[in-house]
Amino acid sequence: MDGPHPLVSLKAVSLGYDSEPVLRGIDLTIHLGDLIGMAGPNGSGKTTLFRAILGLLPILSGSLERDCLLSDFGYVPQSSSLDPNFPLTAGEVVEMGSYGRLRPYQWMPSEEKEKAKKSLDQVGLSHLVAKSFFSLSGGQKQRILIARALMVNPKILILDEPLAGVDQESRKAITELLIKLNRDNKLTVFFSSHDLDMVRAVADKILRVDKGKTWWESKENPAL
Amino acid sequence: METFLEILSPSFLLFPALLGSSVLGLVCPLVGAHLILRRTVFLGLTLPQIAGAGVAFALWLQQMGLLSTLGGGERTVGMVGSLLFTFLGMGFLGYLEHRGKGLAEGRLAAAYSLAGALTILFIVFNPVGEVEILSLLKGEVIALSRTEIKILFGVFGSVLAGMLLFRREFLLASFDRDLAFLLKGGNLFWDIMLYLLAGLSIAIGVIMAGPLLIFGFLVLPPLAARPLIRGMTSFLSLSSLLGVLMAFFGFYLSVRLDLPLGPTDVALGCGLVFLAYAAGKFKTKLGAVACILFVSFFAASGCSTKVSTPLPLDRLPKESTIWLARVRNSTGLELRLPGTNPLRSLAEVAGKISAEERQTVMGLMRESLAEEFGQRGMQVSHPETRDKRLVAFPGSVAESVKIARESQLSGLLFLTEIRRWSAERQFVRVWVDFKLVRIEDGTLVWERQVQRAVPTPAAGHLGQAYTDAIKEIMRELFAA
Repeated sequence: MDGPHPLVSLKAVSLGYDSEPVLRGIDLTIHLGDLIGMAGPNGSGKTTLFRAILGLLPILSGSLERDCLLSDFGYVPQSSSLDPNFPLTAGEVVEMGSYGRLRPYQWMPSEEKEKAKKSLDQVGLSHLVAKSFFSLSGGQKQRILIARALMVNPKILILDEPLAGVDQESRKAITELLIKLNRDNKLTVFFSSHDLDMVRAVADKILRVDKGKTWWESKENPAL
Repeated sequence: METFLEILSPSFLLFPALLGSSVLGLVCPLVGAHLILRRTVFLGLTLPQIAGAGVAFALWLQQMGLLSTLGGGERTVGMVGSLLFTFLGMGFLGYLEHRGKGLAEGRLAAAYSLAGALTILFIVFNPVGEVEILSLLKGEVIALSRTEIKILFGVFGSVLAGMLLFRREFLLASFDRDLAFLLKGGNLFWDIMLYLLAGLSIAIGVIMAGPLLIFGFLVLPPLAARPLIRGMTSFLSLSSLLGVLMAFFGFYLSVRLDLPLGPTDVALGCGLVFLAYAAGKFKTKLGAVACILFVSFFAASGCSTKVSTPLPLDRLPKESTIWLARVRNSTGLELRLPGTNPLRSLAEVAGKISAEERQTVMGLMRESLAEEFGQRGMQVSHPETRDKRLVAFPGSVAESVKIARESQLSGLLFLTEIRRWSAERQFVRVWVDFKLVRIEDGTLVWERQVQRAVPTPAAGHLGQAYTDAIKEIMRELFAA
């Protein structure tokens, strides 16, 4: 699985909370242009691995190297992890992706507004810009969060269970979008799901996570 | 205060206090909105209580002589205590939060209880000035001096600038901490900034306006705004707008109807919340607008039921005698002006001179009325000079006219009744009814109800405050 220019590289990494490992011996490299799917049951440590890659969780042992800035990551969390108490329009959520580039005293420049519009166009939801974010369906919320991640100008897109709580039609739209972003925009995509069949159908590389271990699954021969 | 819009005039005596109240209404909801969204609204209740304990503690220390070198008045000392306790309290709560033991609500509830208990204990420890401390804790924007208003503007202007400048950072750190970490490199700085601004506005706000009003301004406008909008920018804007409306109408109602400002504002704010949720059911912007308009109309119409007019002196026949009845006192208080001569006070204590010989508010007001009428060429007489039985008139106009006729009085009868007269810091709350009646046919020629807080900023003692208040009322009655 090694190749030139890895964006992220993990060697013999152990991850966990309060010094208690959840995942051990992770060896993982992510290259530019990869479309990686991580499959594993709920609670297997998929989100833990993402959080470590994003610098949100310190590793317990091993080495983790990134050939990019943290602000180069476009992170799409599970929409259910966001507090619905916040009054936010879909447009405002997307604009958050530009906050890293804006100074406190700056008004939102027109080019950023234009970029937000383009990001919404990319996910096919520009007509929902003024709608309340939390009034949208699960699939729409997920696509809005993808648009927000695209606003960051990411080198790598990390999506935590993008299909959780999403209807069939939206699942199709999201998977097509991920493939399109990878193929057409040459964006590195790393997503997780507990639905192994879906991961196999979409991803070029499949990372399996279960019982504290990770391993690569051969696309041609899943038994390996 | 002739019209509803008059309080907006910079020449209006309480205009600085209105500005102060409006500044609180403008800025506090911005801070409170973040507390609500972060689900730490109880912090907005607990911190003012902690600040109140700080005020009581600092004043107790001052009374013990331990803060004598600090200088400044009680309010300055209270402000130092308020700031100190607020930031210590925030630091301690932050430390407990960091340790992550127990429920956040439980910690806040315990801190609230402790602060409330300490406030009472510090007041009890302080053998003098209990009333002053309670007055400071109650807070009265209406009694703020110009210097204090300037401090208020400085502090809350800074808080407003901070909330506007860092609006994106605060939103991101509150809404999505992971994204905030990726884009801004961490949340701790923005958390500290937000709580610093919240602590500053609460600590200073409590000493200026009291814990109740500050908590009301922090929480109620954002709660009212929440069901009416769907975006963050409009949420913050509407929260501030509703805060200003709450401050403005609350202030007007308080002054006009002689109600304490804090509870009036808070009651109005609660009304706004109920109306907003009712309007929010329509799910249209029209509902929101209707809600605000309804409240505005309700408050405006409620405030302007009595349009005050000065005495129609040009329409009064100059040859008519104005019989100036003794001023009725319905307050149940003596309303005697305090003595300023220490020798006289000693003589009163020794029983050499009767306290009843001191001037009363009723007597002073009658003298002032006679003087004002006299200066305008009106002929004024006292009914008791015609008939010794007329030392007092009843409250009823009809009864008074009947008695006047029986005593062969003719012309006009001027009746005055004091219903409320209480001095507070820098103002006197008054409620005085004036009536001018034609004795011949019992027609009510003119009537006026003065019911408001009359500012007496220049008064150095209670007697001066009473005298200044009477002068101000006379100016109002006899305005050209």
